[in-house]
Amino acid sequence: MQAGNGGSAIELHDLLLSVAEQLKVPLTVIARQAELGQLDQATSLDVTHVHTQATAALQLVDSYLLGLELVKSQTQLELEPVSIASTLADTAHHLEQFARQYGIELELHIAGKYEPVMAHGRGLRAALLSLGFALSEMVGAAEASRRRVITLAVHRTRQGIVTGMYSGQASGLTAANWRRARSLAGRANQPFAVANSGAGAGFFVADAILRSMQTALRVGRLSRQSGLAASFRPSQQLQFV
Amino acid sequence: MHILLLEPNTVLADTYRQLFIKTGHTVAHSTSAQAAINAADERRPDVVVLELQLPQHSGIEFLHEFRSYPEWQRLPVVVHTFVTPPKLAIAREALARDLHVHTILYKPQTSLQDLLCAVGQAVETT
Repeated sequence: MQAGNGGSAIELHDLLLSVAEQLKVPLTVIARQAELGQLDQATSLDVTHVHTQATAALQLVDSYLLGLELVKSQTQLELEPVSIASTLADTAHHLEQFARQYGIELELHIAGKYEPVMAHGRGLRAALLSLGFALSEMVGAAEASRRRVITLAVHRTRQGIVTGMYSGQASGLTAANWRRARSLAGRANQPFAVANSGAGAGFFVADAILRSMQTALRVGRLSRQSGLAASFRPSQQLQFV
Repeated sequence: MHILLLEPNTVLADTYRQLFIKTGHTVAHSTSAQAAINAADERRPDVVVLELQLPQHSGIEFLHEFRSYPEWQRLPVVVHTFVTPPKLAIAREALARDLHVHTILYKPQTSLQDLLCAVGQAVETT
């Protein structure tokens, strides 16, 4: 996927490899859960595990395809005013069950009121959800000695309105590691080896979608938590209304 | 038998833990190499089931550290990983020769029955 925003976009081929690698995880969970149910009739199949993992897998595929679509139509990609706070709240709702499977609590941090931002509504939702699934897997691998939390946040900076996800268990998320991970996406089994055991495709799919909207995922900090976030221009048009 | 399961994905780990417990074994689960070293020290496992792709320190690093302790030099280790067999081809000989790992399973294509058999055989032949 070769989106704009400089020459550092991840190639389509590498992104596809990353997605394929990532899909092995939910598919393995589904296959083994089904097998566990067959082995022992007394054990009922854990339908919640199967449903949640299948949903995450489908979402990753859909987001990847949406990213392709957005990149292809980039010349006529129309950005529209989107409520970032309600999109983030909606993401938290859809992510909740998946995060809970990994022992993670979600916290929504939307302080103040935010005007709509210029974005592609469906793309923004897909990017945030992909980011959330990927970060949940990363944080879920942290040792359980501390409470696992992901904060979904919106805040304002000089660059615009920033939205992202942060965690105290994502200390490996540094700018250098993120740069290195992006350069290794699809080429290494563990592009984010310092912090993540898997392919982390959700991070790269989210980044590709955001790049088609002339923004990108960047490493950020929020109250001693590390995370990934993207900034958006406020919608000037609606500010006058 | 007591199994030390080193699996970074906690949802998958739950599935394997259920399997082992249902078949009469006990399980200690760790998501990282350091925690697994600590768990091995406390729980004295009979066998280790290991994913090579771990956050921070890899499974290979774990094995080097693990094998450096005299009491764990011959403890059976079953590698159960998402790394594909072609990618592991080069490492396979070194894993067997230097780290005494003789069973390597590709996770997506290893059934629960096959995993149970491999774990049982690894313990029997050691």
